[in-house]
Amino acid sequence: MSSWLDYTINGLIVGNVYALVAVGLALIFGVSRLINFAQGSIYLVGAYIGWVAVVQLHTPLPLTIIFVAVVAALVGLIIERFGLRPLQNSVRIAPLLATIGISFVLDQLVMLTFSPNPRALPSQLPDVRFQVGGGTIGPLDLLIAGVGISSALLLFVFLRYSKLGWAVRAASQDRDAAMQMGVDVNRVNQAVFGIAAALGGVSGLLVGMYYNQIDTAMSLQATLKGVVAEVVGGAGNVPGAVVGSLLLGLVESYGVAVFGTSYRNLFAFLLLVVVLVLRPNGLFASARQAPPEPLTGTFIAPSRPVRIPRWVLLVAVAAFAVLPLLPVSFYVLQTLINAWLLGMLALSLTLVAGTIGQVSLGHAALLAIGAYTSALLSLTLSVPVGLAIIVGGLMSAALGTILISPSFRLRGHYVSIATLAIGEIVSLVILNWESVTRGPIGISGIPPLSLFGYDLISPTSVYWFSFAVMVVLALLQARLLSSHLGRSFRAIRDDDIAARAYGISLNRYKSLAFIFGGFAAGVSGGIAAHLYSYINHETFNTQQSILALTVVILGGLGNVVGAIVGAVALVGLPEVFRIAAEYRILIYGIVLLLLVRFRPQGLLGTI
Amino acid sequence: MTTSTPEPLLALTNVNTFYGQAQVHFDLSITVGSGHIVCLLGGNASGKSTTMKIILGLVKPRAGEVTFDGASLIGLTTPQIVRRGIASVPEARRLFADMSVRENILMGAFVRNDREAIAQDLDKMLTLFPKLGQRLSQRAGSLSGGEQQMVAMARALMSRPRLIVMDEPTMGLSPLYVDRVLELIRTINQEGVSVFMVEQNASLALEIAHEAYVLQTGKIVLSGSARTLKDDPRVRDAYLGGSEAA
Repeated sequence: MSSWLDYTINGLIVGNVYALVAVGLALIFGVSRLINFAQGSIYLVGAYIGWVAVVQLHTPLPLTIIFVAVVAALVGLIIERFGLRPLQNSVRIAPLLATIGISFVLDQLVMLTFSPNPRALPSQLPDVRFQVGGGTIGPLDLLIAGVGISSALLLFVFLRYSKLGWAVRAASQDRDAAMQMGVDVNRVNQAVFGIAAALGGVSGLLVGMYYNQIDTAMSLQATLKGVVAEVVGGAGNVPGAVVGSLLLGLVESYGVAVFGTSYRNLFAFLLLVVVLVLRPNGLFASARQAPPEPLTGTFIAPSRPVRIPRWVLLVAVAAFAVLPLLPVSFYVLQTLINAWLLGMLALSLTLVAGTIGQVSLGHAALLAIGAYTSALLSLTLSVPVGLAIIVGGLMSAALGTILISPSFRLRGHYVSIATLAIGEIVSLVILNWESVTRGPIGISGIPPLSLFGYDLISPTSVYWFSFAVMVVLALLQARLLSSHLGRSFRAIRDDDIAARAYGISLNRYKSLAFIFGGFAAGVSGGIAAHLYSYINHETFNTQQSILALTVVILGGLGNVVGAIVGAVALVGLPEVFRIAAEYRILIYGIVLLLLVRFRPQGLLGTI
Repeated sequence: MTTSTPEPLLALTNVNTFYGQAQVHFDLSITVGSGHIVCLLGGNASGKSTTMKIILGLVKPRAGEVTFDGASLIGLTTPQIVRRGIASVPEARRLFADMSVRENILMGAFVRNDREAIAQDLDKMLTLFPKLGQRLSQRAGSLSGGEQQMVAMARALMSRPRLIVMDEPTMGLSPLYVDRVLELIRTINQEGVSVFMVEQNASLALEIAHEAYVLQTGKIVLSGSARTLKDDPRVRDAYLGGSEAA
């Protein structure tokens, strides 16, 4: 085992890397009140540009760094100009969703260009280590520390002494007032995105060299870590982001020292949740500081939903119910089964994100809880599958609501961050709690779906089963929304302070929404487990959470029929057009971007 | 006070503004004569602050014309309008709370590039607002409301504007500071800067203004020289001791 000094050095070096990402996030949040979920993708781009420079162009190190910074900055400028500037006057959720869409597109483009296989990114520095006290330090450590410190200094000088730097600071404190001083906010945004992207790209390069390996999974991890560091330091607070990053690096490093490598991320996300619950404005925010997001205002695009006559719905349900009796291929049924499963998840998310306004980015965790519960009950305790799925749903409802409850006091972006973190925590607990979940090996040999002792193995029976479950869940949800409960949910979404003033208990109603939504998602996960017969901690990942969000936005937030239409469209259309699997995520990202830009209320309208 | 009408510096002509479906301004027409103090009076939700936003380009009117010194401001961005020579003292000051007082004042000169003249103007501000001299390196957010109003006015003057628009400059100030602010507005005006101010406090505003307009639910219901309006029973009823006066 290495010495504590080694762990400290490692923590600080990794912290420096996080700082390069987090400072950019803080700058952007300061000016635009936006958490840029595409920051990790720029980091990924930086790593691969670095690979091209080092391995193919054989550039010397200083040139490599400059090359990466310039290309990454260009990517940042493009994102700002074409992805975000057109959304300036739209609802607040729009830019957040756009950055998610952009990150999908960038990640997939990198993956398609360079293949998903990991690559070696050789360090261009000699591999020697110097003894320092009881630990060792290498030239790359010094380079990373040097880049981190000099970037911080340059940024300080820029913000303090340059005219554009003053404009950035003024705009981040009061955008409208800055405009009234003659500050061109578009130029400020450009500057901030350019700087953030350059720092993020260089960070990706350094990390690639540090671990001598790059792969496309780096992107999401970097975004998550950067967001953790930034929120710990106080969103929008640049020095806070640096301190938060170093703290995160140390916490992770010591956590690894005590518990092992697989616990690294768990510590990061636990730190985030603790800070969000105890000091949502970050460790260094003064108590007087106003909440960083406006208290009221529409987070979600208001619209008039498309009215669908009852008979049309009845005909549609009947048509889908008799479909297996017609001469259709198994392939069509298989596709629709996937759509029904995704539809259940979308029902859950449209309730939570659309009706009550808590945009969850960790919804896959609810699938995982339901799936693991149902799989383990039926496998180890021989509980009948039908019952096990219901228990799985209840477990998702209960556990999901308890896990998410710390985020009930948060608003807007912070809910998204907290749910993202909680989702990651669930996946990491599944990975590490080997005695129950079998850890990384996963659970295999899960019994097939069965009902009252009859196995449902044929696609037709599985189709009917999943379709029936989804329709029942949809009817329940529609009933729920037409009651006074639905109105209370929407009141909380539209103005939680006013809702509270009218005596609506936010915690109780948010819990109710998550209980109902958790059940639907848990059932979907349970069915999926028995259908797949094998699951592990990666079966239900963040990508599924984002896919569900895209479905829900496509259908119209809060719209029950929309959730199902969205699921059928997003699962079905790629099949219809026979789009190769590797392009699908790219398509989803583009769909999300187009929706946010041109039809934020979705196909059927928000309710 | 003069009654002759000088060349109009700022003119709003038949402006109609909407927030979604709701109409805020109905054929609003206002002129600010060069070298004058013009005051827009009105109660809550009458459309006063929106008028400020129209002038500054923060809100676009659906119809109508806004000209400054004869040239249209429609379609210009806020920074472009500021560069034409309009400075603002926004409602509730809106200082950059975490920047120092010095930085706040210098932000007012953001559109200028003449370093030496800016430094001279900063000194001039400190003679005009002597209290700020000891506060220069303090965080602007730590100042009292009255002091913040001084910073906001100094900041507006730093761009060497031809017109300053002020949104309720006396709001939330102690009586002592209210008098001081009104006196300063007069001083600024005597140095050749035109002033357009939005106020709820009619009696105070009419004391220093040349002309005034009364806005009610988006329509100008009264206008004229400040002196005549002061004696107008309708203004008196509405603002100066009528039942609605607070």
